[in-house]
Amino acid sequence: MNAPLLATRALTSGYERDLPIVREVGMEVHEGEFLLLLGPNGAGKSTLVKTIAGLVPVHAGAVTLGGADLTALAPHERLRHGLAFVPQTENVFTTMSIHENLLIAAQVLPRPDRAGRIAALYDMFPDLARLRSLRAGQLSGGQRQMLAVARALIVGPSVLILDEPSAGLAPKVVSEVFARLREINRGGVTTVLVEQNVKAALAIADRAVVLVEGRVRLDAPAAGLAESDTLGKLFLGGHGRQHGTTTEDRG
Amino acid sequence: MTPQVLMDGVVAGAMIGLGAIGITLTYSILRFANFAHGEFISWGAYLALAIASALGTLTGGDVQPIGPFSFGWTLPVALVLAVILTAGLALGVDALLFGPLRRRGSAVIILVMASFGAALALRNMIEFIFTSSPRYFSTELQIAAPVGGGMRATPDQLLTVAVALILVAAIHLLLTRTAMGRSMRAVAENRQLAGLAGIDARRVIRTVWALGAGLACVAGVMSGLVVQIRPEMGLDLLLPLFAAAILGGIGSVPGAMLAGLIVGVAESMTVAVVGAEWRAAVAFVILVVILLVRPRGLFGRAG
Amino acid sequence: MIDILSYGFFFLTMALTYGIVCLGLNVQWGQTGLFNVGIAGFVAVGAYVSSLLTTPESASHLGGFGLPIAVGWVGAALATALVTFLIGALTIRLRADYLAIATFGAAVSIQLCVLNFQPVTGGPFGVGFIPRPFAALAGRPFLFGAANLALIAAVVAVLYLALERLAQSPWGRALKAIREDETAAQALGKSAVAFRLQAFALGGAIMGLAGAAQAHFIGFIAPDNYQPTLTFQVWAMLIVGGSGNNRGAILGSVVVWGIWALSAALISAVVPADQQARAASLQIVTIGVALCAILLWRPRGLIGEARVGARHLLRPAAPRKAPTPSGEN
Repeated sequence: MNAPLLATRALTSGYERDLPIVREVGMEVHEGEFLLLLGPNGAGKSTLVKTIAGLVPVHAGAVTLGGADLTALAPHERLRHGLAFVPQTENVFTTMSIHENLLIAAQVLPRPDRAGRIAALYDMFPDLARLRSLRAGQLSGGQRQMLAVARALIVGPSVLILDEPSAGLAPKVVSEVFARLREINRGGVTTVLVEQNVKAALAIADRAVVLVEGRVRLDAPAAGLAESDTLGKLFLGGHGRQHGTTTEDRG
Repeated sequence: MTPQVLMDGVVAGAMIGLGAIGITLTYSILRFANFAHGEFISWGAYLALAIASALGTLTGGDVQPIGPFSFGWTLPVALVLAVILTAGLALGVDALLFGPLRRRGSAVIILVMASFGAALALRNMIEFIFTSSPRYFSTELQIAAPVGGGMRATPDQLLTVAVALILVAAIHLLLTRTAMGRSMRAVAENRQLAGLAGIDARRVIRTVWALGAGLACVAGVMSGLVVQIRPEMGLDLLLPLFAAAILGGIGSVPGAMLAGLIVGVAESMTVAVVGAEWRAAVAFVILVVILLVRPRGLFGRAG
Repeated sequence: MIDILSYGFFFLTMALTYGIVCLGLNVQWGQTGLFNVGIAGFVAVGAYVSSLLTTPESASHLGGFGLPIAVGWVGAALATALVTFLIGALTIRLRADYLAIATFGAAVSIQLCVLNFQPVTGGPFGVGFIPRPFAALAGRPFLFGAANLALIAAVVAVLYLALERLAQSPWGRALKAIREDETAAQALGKSAVAFRLQAFALGGAIMGLAGAAQAHFIGFIAPDNYQPTLTFQVWAMLIVGGSGNNRGAILGSVVVWGIWALSAALISAVVPADQQARAASLQIVTIGVALCAILLWRPRGLIGEARVGARHLLRPAAPRKAPTPSGEN
């Protein structure tokens, strides 16, 4: 089996030194995979992805991407390694236009590539192209999430991590966003998604990892999870690590 | 009141505006009111003075004034070098003081206080090195020529206003049209997101310090040219600078310049109507009025 | 021997007046987190108000009204409370550092008023003949010095006990809740603003009282006494003592005033006359650098026990383990 693209090893992190939120998490994401990160409220899902993005101090353990150790790097350096993160809130520059938001993200690229890359994303998100000179603060929730995703995709990341992109969106918009994410993943971008919207998210994911109280409690293929009662038990605070079937069915 | 009041106000206001741009930029990116900014003005002026007189001595001492101006070739050269050194000074202070405090996540007010201590040390260091007696870039006497509308100005004064306006336009273009400018606005709005979007906030912060201190140096040299050079020149300008930065709206470069001109003209009107001894209170009155009426300033964002 | 003792009394008396300023600053900064850069101006208000109320009638300035010293001190405290209240009301709802800018501006303007309202304040010539407490003892320096010291020590003791009690009172606990808990502050809303404003004015009143006391011990005041250096000195005292801590504030003012007086004496004894101004500026450079160094390395103060602990000023409590991922935050 090939080495994972993104991995955490015994990762412990949190904002205060004596208050770890993520505890000894070992997690592997393979190239092309769509991984769903689940867990009850306060389980540390969001802190885990923020730690991977470089926003939360690491107490112990490591984050690697394609064999490179990212643990000591700042967020902007992780982006250069191909790791893009979309926060749940405040994920666009509201005082700037859509176009400026994309221009800022494109600054990482060599100068000659910038315009082409922005044009490619406008093709992918025609709504954004239409509204390009609108200030991001004036966008609707769904448009704003799309801009945040487009901003993250500009650099052509190998891994895209999203923290609850469906939060606060109408159900119809959520399914649009999820369809988009599935499409992006099919296009070759390894995806890690944190979600509360379990059912809809399981439908588009390959594998799910469940975090409870900062620790990994389940790591199983997404297919069939929605119907089983394993998740329900975990979410209600069940203890003891549950082993799902492992990786035979992963392509 | 004569039209001349307007001219005098514009000359003073151009310098206030340049200094206020530095305050407004560091404030919007670093999010604290830097009480040491005035000292960059004084240090800029004294560094330029030291370099210009060293250059003059090295080359034989006989430096002829350029055209209608009161100074010779040594001053422009010294200005360029002093801008670089003042920027270096600001970067040094940041590396030793503000940087470590920021990394520790200190409260805003601790940074303000540190800037207060730094101001004290920097100002008295000047007094230690150069003593407190006033200095001048040139002893040439300049005659104010009519410039229309019943106003008169010396060539030096006109030059300072022109340089200030050119610099404001350049900084405005830098902020709105270049990658670095966009990065600066991005860090000002949301530092964390800027990092996620690939911007190195530390580089942006260094640029802002260098830019702010460089402009302060230019303001100091101008003030030294048209008024005089004293260790307290920066301290005396600090209140007008804050008033202008807040009046213009924190983060707005054109706002800072326009507000600088307003403060300058208000000061010269006060001098004409009430008396020169009240000049220093004008900035405070303006400050009180803005804080009462419109705390976000003329061009500031809400919140 | 008597000479040295008398000087010692005078030195301690002056140091304790700074201790009072420090106690006032501690109410504003240590207890409430309000940054005041205009201390010199507020001390000046107290000094001038008390002087004008108590001096004998004079042609060179307003009044004087020849009132008893106690009336002057109370008047000084009330007048300064009013001035600080107005400055606070203007800025306390805005960003934290707007208060700093406004107090700085207020100090500049107060100094200017004192200098320029010559008919009221005597202008650059200041106010003289300020009555001294225990003037009847003036012929016997030892007794006179001891009585003055006892008076100021009593004032400090009363203030100290009152402020300690106040910190434990419902009012003090509300202040503590406001500064240490954002949600509590927001929940209190308007009354949080009122609490902070009260604390700011109370601190101002104490500073005004200190200014008045100082004026009466020296007997003569002039605008030059109230330069920004005074503000710096008081800050250095509070920082050395440890903010939030009343005992530290008093101790810090004695220590810093002692260092200041000693180094000044040393400079005038050792440094040649033509270089003394330079040496004095080096003295201030040292204070500035020391202030920064303490903020960097000993944010809880040098000698304070930080019992009351102004934790809001020292965020975050736990140093982050390396590496700090975002570099700077």
